[in-house]
Formats: sequence, C-alpha cells, structure tokens
Amino acid sequence: MQRISVTVRLNRSTLQFDDAAYGRLETYLAESASLLEGDPDPQEILSDLEQAVADQCTRRLRTDQAVVTLAELVPALEEIGSVQTSAASVAPDQTTRGTARPLQQVSEGAVISGVCMGLARYFGLNVTALRIFAVLLLLLSGGGVILVYFALMLLFPYAPLESGGQPLRWLPAKSRAFTEFLAQKFSLASSPTRPEAQKPRHP
Amino acid sequence: MIIESKLAPIRKGLLEFLVLKIVGARSVYVPDILRRLAGTEFATQEGTLYPLLSKLRREDLVQYDWQESDAGPPRKYYRLTDAGRTQLAALDDYWNRINRTIADMGH
Repeated sequence: MQRISVTVRLNRSTLQFDDAAYGRLETYLAESASLLEGDPDPQEILSDLEQAVADQCTRRLRTDQAVVTLAELVPALEEIGSVQTSAASVAPDQTTRGTARPLQQVSEGAVISGVCMGLARYFGLNVTALRIFAVLLLLLSGGGVILVYFALMLLFPYAPLESGGQPLRWLPAKSRAFTEFLAQKFSLASSPTRPEAQKPRHP
Repeated sequence: MIIESKLAPIRKGLLEFLVLKIVGARSVYVPDILRRLAGTEFATQEGTLYPLLSKLRREDLVQYDWQESDAGPPRKYYRLTDAGRTQLAALDDYWNRINRTIADMGH
C-alpha cells in the first residue's frame, strides 16, 4: 500500500499534493509565518500566499494531471518568492544592523573615562545599572576589574564629542579634573605615590 | 550593477508609491500589479506584494472587493480609498519636487 497524495485546502482552493510537494509546501508556509512574526495581521497575508500557491500550481498542472508534484511547486514558489515585509518595517532594522555603533568610550557624562557609557550604549543597557554592577564586581573581584577597565579604556576608540570637539587622547575623560584635584589637595606639582593619577598618563 | 545597488533602498521605498499609482489607475488584482511592474526596475513578487498591500490596507489607503472570476475562486480587487487618493496626490507632488531639486542641483 502507498499513500499517493494529500488533499490540501489552500485558502479558497483545494488541491492534491504528493508527499514530497506537501513537505515542501509545509516548509514554505512555516517559513513565511515565522518571517511575518511581528506583523499585525499575518493571517491575511498567509491566506493570500496560500491562494497564490494554489493559483500558481493550478496554472502549471497539465490538463490530465490531478496531483501537484515538486515539478510544479518549486517553480511556483520561486515565482512567488519568500516573504519580504514592507519597506517601512524593514528599513530601520537594516540601518541599525548595517551601521552598528562600534564599542567606544563616551567622554561626555563619563565618571572615569566613559567605558561604562560606551558599553551601555553598545548593548542598549541602562548605564547606572551597569555602573552599579561594575562597582559590585570591583568589590567582589578585589580590584581585578580595574585592570579590565584600563584595558578597555585603551582598546576602545573615543566617541566624537556631541559638542563636536576632539576628545582627550590616551587620557580618561575625567583625568584632567582628577589630577588637578590631586594637585590641589597635596599642593604639589608631582605626586608619584598616586598610581591612579599616573597610570593613564600615556604619552 | 553598482548603480543598481546604490539605489536599492530608494527603489524599495518607492515600491509603495508605485503600487498606490497602479491601484489608483484602476481596480486591479495582484497578478495585474505584478504584470505592470514586471520588466521595470521595480519588478517584484507576490511574497513582497501581499505584505505591502496588507500594510496599505491597515493604513486605510487601499481596500479590496471580492470579484468572481470565470476560472477558479473569487479574486481580491484592490482600489484606493479617499485617504489613499489624498496620499497618492501628496506623494506625486513630493516626488515632482524631488525631481526638480535633483535636476536643478549642480547648475
């Protein structure tokens, strides 16, 4: 015994498909449904596509042929093409993916050098939450995070300033204020015992 | 080829405008629209057109009526709504302004 065909209702048409064609059709419709995820009215589009498949296959059937095979279905699906959601909903997605912001340090609003700001911006996180997390990590790691921070600070390029100016190079955004603060506090020009202030002073 | 890919996003954005134009000329069903676009820079497929028409219908720019066909099941015939007509006129106007701007630039 052998199953010859499956009767399929496609929107307003009924057609017979052989097993292979039926499998291919199921895949196509499942793919279409997943591509339409997020569309407010996927059911209407899927019904239209089903009808398109039915029409295209019917047109390709020979007059003496009752069952749709891959020979009809594959070119039919090729002509219909895979689901492309409308330009309006596709465009913003593409631009964010196409021109993804690089990881940068963001000087404006920075606490130290803007590494947290940059990470938060890149991953779409809340910067305050990230900073609290960083401080927790600092306490738990016993200071290892400081090295990581400085490594990232040297690795990340500087984001251009919103004001249009050039950011400080090789210096954490806050280092100028910080060294001035230290100098004032110790009323000394040099403070070699303060590694925090010295470390970022790369040439 | 390079030119084509440079203007690909523009073509994509203009497809909606062209579909409104086609639907605005007379009531059509999807194969009519595909035939009208075939062979132009805007040739497209049902997989693209149905989601677009669904969006336009949700925005109340087009609507459809079922019409019996001599072969097969009834067909959806699309036409513009009043809002669709207004938007098409505005798009036409804007497009003409853009064309003038482009033509005048560089003189």
